[in-house]
Amino acid sequence: MENAFTINQLNLKYGEKKALDQITMDIPKNQITALIGPSGCGKSTLLRTLNRMNDLIDNVRIDGDIRYEEQDIFAKEYDVINLRTKVGMVFQKPNPFPMSIFDNIAYGPRCQGIKDRKVLQEIVERSLINAALYDEVKDRLKESAKELSGGQQQRLCIARAIAMEPDVILMDEPTSALDPIATAKIEDLILELKKKYTIVIVTHNMQQAARISDNTAFLLMGELIEYDKTDIIFSNPKETKTEEYITGRFG
Amino acid sequence: MTYRTQFDSELDNLKLNLIKMSDLVIRNIHDALHSFLEMNTELAERIIKDDQLVNDFEYAIEKECMRIILREQPVAKDLRLITAVLKMITDLERIGDHAADISKLTVFMEKTSKPLKAKYTPLMVDVCEEMIRLALDSFVNRDTRMAHEVIEKDDLVDEYFIEIKNQVASAIRETRIDADYAIYLMMVAKYIERIGDHAVNLAEWVIFSITGEHE
Repeated sequence: MENAFTINQLNLKYGEKKALDQITMDIPKNQITALIGPSGCGKSTLLRTLNRMNDLIDNVRIDGDIRYEEQDIFAKEYDVINLRTKVGMVFQKPNPFPMSIFDNIAYGPRCQGIKDRKVLQEIVERSLINAALYDEVKDRLKESAKELSGGQQQRLCIARAIAMEPDVILMDEPTSALDPIATAKIEDLILELKKKYTIVIVTHNMQQAARISDNTAFLLMGELIEYDKTDIIFSNPKETKTEEYITGRFG
Repeated sequence: MTYRTQFDSELDNLKLNLIKMSDLVIRNIHDALHSFLEMNTELAERIIKDDQLVNDFEYAIEKECMRIILREQPVAKDLRLITAVLKMITDLERIGDHAADISKLTVFMEKTSKPLKAKYTPLMVDVCEEMIRLALDSFVNRDTRMAHEVIEKDDLVDEYFIEIKNQVASAIRETRIDADYAIYLMMVAKYIERIGDHAVNLAEWVIFSITGEHE
């Protein structure tokens, strides 16, 4: 099984506060890996480290090793822009840009220098189709993205990530602001996206992790307590702390 | 700090009902054998009637498990516990059926003047009762060692069964037994032997609920 990421002895501090402590894990390609744990356990920090979004925060100190496609992502000569192109991200609250549906998706490709209207049109259509949104918006691509419902906005954000032709999509609680129907649509979409992309998802919804992910990592106070196949984590975890957390007896 | 006290008390209640069901089943198999050996049709009829109570327990516990799954969405050891309970009530219900089966033989059987003093039948039932009790104790105490003891004890039940068969066979050869009674007695022994197998199933589900491995 090929890995998208191999993480080795990763430590991260915000100032004096240790947020990640000796994390070692592999993230396999074309699978869905869920990160679970109570608030403040470091799961979002770990997710953001994978495309170096933590670089944007002051006072962060990282040591240890993350390899993406076998390249050290912290190496001096490493191309961070390329990393963020290949490792896209979708956030908790849908955050469409205040522009049309079309321009939202064309934004990234345009930044990369694509000007040809026809090419952009193709990218927008393909991205919307892959994000299972095309049929709902094909007649109003010029309308503001802010007019869309929450679930549609989130799928737009996924389409926007897909437009950059990434290999990995990081998702930080992508359905926590959505109703059950919009959530089900996004979950179906995530399962569909797995065929083409590696997905890492942070979620507070344990049923969601159990439903859609292949692997689940449980973090607590910056430590990786247990990482295994999702079926094992939710039926027969090895660590008492994992058991206590997922059965709701501790948190 | 622990949470989900309501959930925990629901699980405790489930265990309590399972114990009540097993107590009833143990009483029924004990009385069923005596009804047969003593040709006591009155007792046999009571057991046949009481089997409905066993079925009611199965239904009530099953309903409670479904309700807990629906409302609490259990995972890990909680899910294994509820799965085990759902399987165990099926085995307990079957054991109850066999007690009723033995009692039905008592009712239908012609009274014999030559009952065989088959000392191994009560011994066999004693072992089965002990196995069911141990299985339930191992469940409540989450003790796999006790559960394995149950599985080992089944060999003894099988040995007693062969002894009874040999005893009946020689009684037939020596015409010390009525043909009908010999057949009924072997059927009773077979029912008890099946009860032993169901007790083994109980123990295997207990082990599953503790370890996640089903043997």
